[in-house]
Amino acid sequence: MAEKKKTTTTKKTVTKKPITKKAAPVKQDIKKQAPAAKPAAKPAATGSTTQQKPRVGVFICHCGTNIAGSMDLMAVQEYSKTIPGVAHVDNYQYMCSTPGQGKIEKAIKDHKLTGIVVAACTPRLHEPTFRTATKEGGLNPFRFEMANIRDQNSWVHMHDQVGSTEKAKDAVRIAVAKAALLQDLYPKSVPVEKAAMVVGAGVAGMQAALDLAAAGIKTYLIEADTSIGGRMSQLDKTFPTLDCSQCILTPKMVDVGRDTNIELYTYSEVNAVEGYIGNFDVTIRKKARGVLTPKEAEARGLVGGGCNGCGDCDAVCPVVKPNAFEMGMKPRKAIYINHPQVVPLIYTIDFDSCIKCGLCVTACGPEKRAIDLESKDEFVKVKVGTAILATGYELFPIEKKEEWGYKRFENVITGLEFERLICASGPTGGHLVRPSDGQTPKKVAFVLCAGSRDNTGSGKPYCSRFCCMYSLKHAHQIIEKIPGCTPYLFYMDIRSFGKMYEEFYYRIQDEGAKFIRGRVANILEDSKSKNLHVMTDDTLLDRPVDMEVDLVVLASAVQPSADTNRTRKLFGVSCSMDGWLLEAHPKLNPCGTTTAGVFLAGVCQGPKDIPDTVASAEGAASAASIPIHKGEVELEPYFATCIDEKCAGCGMCVNLCPYSALALVEKDGRTVMEVTEAKCKGCGTCGGFCPGGAIWMNHFTTPQIVAQIDAFLLGGEQ
Amino acid sequence: MSEPGAKHKFAFYLGCIAPNRYPGVESASIKAMKKLGVELVPLKGASCCPAPGAFGSIDMNVFYAMAARNLVLAEEMKMDIALVCNGCYKSIWEVNHKLKHNKDLRDAVNEVLKEVDMEYKGTINVYHTAELLYNDKFIGVDKVRDSVTNPLTGARIAVHYGCHLVKPHKDREFEKEVMLNTEHPMWMEELVSALGATPVEYRNKMQCCGAGGGVRGYDIVHALDITNEKLINLQEEKVDALTDICPFCQLQFDRGQIEIQEKFGATYNLPVLHFAELLGLAQGMSPQDLGLDLHGISCESFLRKVL
Repeated sequence: MAEKKKTTTTKKTVTKKPITKKAAPVKQDIKKQAPAAKPAAKPAATGSTTQQKPRVGVFICHCGTNIAGSMDLMAVQEYSKTIPGVAHVDNYQYMCSTPGQGKIEKAIKDHKLTGIVVAACTPRLHEPTFRTATKEGGLNPFRFEMANIRDQNSWVHMHDQVGSTEKAKDAVRIAVAKAALLQDLYPKSVPVEKAAMVVGAGVAGMQAALDLAAAGIKTYLIEADTSIGGRMSQLDKTFPTLDCSQCILTPKMVDVGRDTNIELYTYSEVNAVEGYIGNFDVTIRKKARGVLTPKEAEARGLVGGGCNGCGDCDAVCPVVKPNAFEMGMKPRKAIYINHPQVVPLIYTIDFDSCIKCGLCVTACGPEKRAIDLESKDEFVKVKVGTAILATGYELFPIEKKEEWGYKRFENVITGLEFERLICASGPTGGHLVRPSDGQTPKKVAFVLCAGSRDNTGSGKPYCSRFCCMYSLKHAHQIIEKIPGCTPYLFYMDIRSFGKMYEEFYYRIQDEGAKFIRGRVANILEDSKSKNLHVMTDDTLLDRPVDMEVDLVVLASAVQPSADTNRTRKLFGVSCSMDGWLLEAHPKLNPCGTTTAGVFLAGVCQGPKDIPDTVASAEGAASAASIPIHKGEVELEPYFATCIDEKCAGCGMCVNLCPYSALALVEKDGRTVMEVTEAKCKGCGTCGGFCPGGAIWMNHFTTPQIVAQIDAFLLGGEQ
Repeated sequence: MSEPGAKHKFAFYLGCIAPNRYPGVESASIKAMKKLGVELVPLKGASCCPAPGAFGSIDMNVFYAMAARNLVLAEEMKMDIALVCNGCYKSIWEVNHKLKHNKDLRDAVNEVLKEVDMEYKGTINVYHTAELLYNDKFIGVDKVRDSVTNPLTGARIAVHYGCHLVKPHKDREFEKEVMLNTEHPMWMEELVSALGATPVEYRNKMQCCGAGGGVRGYDIVHALDITNEKLINLQEEKVDALTDICPFCQLQFDRGQIEIQEKFGATYNLPVLHFAELLGLAQGMSPQDLGLDLHGISCESFLRKVL
């Protein structure tokens, strides 16, 4: 609800405040900024308004045939005329169109309407539209109520003309009951902190942070890993241009490290989030790293100290662990960096494996004194106006698809392992070898849609969107690097949808890659040679295939990164059933979320290749900078209000409030509850609970809700 | 239906091949399960399950009605069904599941059952005995291990799961999650280990025995070709015996070896035992009690190793 684009404003009555560096306490600000917001609701607390007799206008939308095709709209119109309180009824092909809105504006004036009901689609889609029309007609925009007769009626009861007509009558009657009791409300403006946060420093997060920083916005960039760059920094080349991934990414990483507007927190995560758009208070947990940056060393009085990335500690550390950046195919020490080009070039101690022998401390020496074996997690609080989630992806654990034998058969690897093996800076110096014997393969099978587009229940139903293309790239790299080696791609469809992608597909075909259309049913290992038999059905030639190859690469499905779910909950962002974060609208607001001020960039919203990821990051950065540049945001006036005379000061509501918006205060010698309106989201938890009925929920008042229930249950009888 | 801990009673559905070709499976199941606190009470009057390939490919109405009749017999006994065959499991478990969840189908089937004064109510569950052995709600691997008096030490035993118990994956609802691993399950190997034997993995373990789905009846040479491939893979691992949990698979592997010898001239002499027979041996039953002398392929080599 709060996310709506602000089509209704009270700007004319509000004098713009200069934005202070630290946002002023919101509550004071509201009082100063929105004098018009006198508590109109309070005197009306009993529900019997002293307003004039309600005159509600009902406008019924055909939505082309979306609604009109499934019900008798004329019957709904005739019925609407009989509902008490209705002063005017009209219908139109598309109420959201300019003429449709014009009907509302004109009717308000002609019929002296006090409330508007539009029976059409959803508030999510068109509430802002009709509120604007209501306002243009001269009414307070909050005197508008929507009856959903499309998504929850005509679409689901498409083949029940009679039933859907009756249901539409009910919906209109209920909406009219509320519209008759609607009151004037005034949105409030709060100042926006001129700072942003980006969570995740892969290519999406880096791009978003660079854009925000370039727009002059202080940006906190949070990365869980010890260095930035994300998945893209693990790739060898990028399709279809075959650029070296590191070569195009490293400059961006360096820019991020240097940008004075970007404050980089690596090996850190978001620990807590409080507040709302414009004023998020975020607590960052800096995980114990055991190594001081030069800046941190200076803060401890060690001028000229701190880690300079020399690697002397690495050389003496006796503990050896698999390097996760190299997909476990290369060793690292307990004190490590992911790879030579890391940003920031600061070592990290993996305290889960460190034996605290102290050799690194000695090697680091008395001048740098960068190593602190007793280092603890630190918590840093920052205030930001908006935030972007760019938490990325990880590979689906493809060993769950047992039929392909990953982790059982040595020569079955994943696409990311292939990237490291073919990469010159990888564990084999760029020589693709079989894990079982270190030999160069002559026949390599690629299993596409490995765990993607899988409706068996053991994989993922969605398309992971970049595996077709990187497998084509892998095929090219094999042909280029290993003379005589043939790649075989087992595919369902090749989805080469992007710019120059189809051309790339043809190119790889011409280079000699073999394509077999068939979903791989099973992979068997020859226990002696460790060769693999790929079993499938060639659905173009209509015959079974049993192909012996010496290496299999699974183009594994992707899934949201491990910490995504925890992080999204902190920011109040929803996810879809498959775990990807939910955008505000899949087509028209793909970077926004239903939480105002929180945006999505990159793969955390759904699988994307690099061009799409960067585009989405730039979109998110742009969207996240708008409230900051505007300087203030309007909050929906749906906050709770305490009716002091009824409040017993029991404080039950204070504990229930999920947003810490309520507090007990002394007023005229009594203890009563007070609402910090800017913090209140209007969820109604307190209002529903209050034993004395002392809490008034604006726009969802008890009389309004009771009237709606009565209207439904009594079928229109008074 | 029974409380955990209490003595469990099940209506024992025999099927066709076990009582007719491998009576040891029947006797071993009843006797061995009794030692594990599970009583198998004969399901009197039961018909063919009916065979999923043969009937299911021709007329689903007959298939549903026949399976439902068997289910009603157990409902009248107020007992869950236990059975020893994957084919029976597919028919009876799946029909039970479908009838419980599809009212239209249930009504149609009851319309047919009315002619024999029966009504399907959906009050019981269906279990494979292997599932009872593995699931500690009923027995569990530990109890199986504790019941062993003659451990099959030193024997290398491979497992054939068979298709119909675990597949199709999306139509199965085992309580033990590992049993839902249809592509590379290992729970039967745990049971083999519990008997003291060494479970052996082999190439393409989950391949069909060759007989199922009507293949044996339709094209015997093709069916034997598949069996032959499995036997080659088993021979590579030098196994002493193959164990199965489906008499139809057992028939194909056991008597199939004789047919393979006749048709392809390949000799394997690989003993093939239902897991119930293995369990009986490990609990001290004699090979004669288990009817092992009735097998097509002699179990002598295997018995010498374990007795």
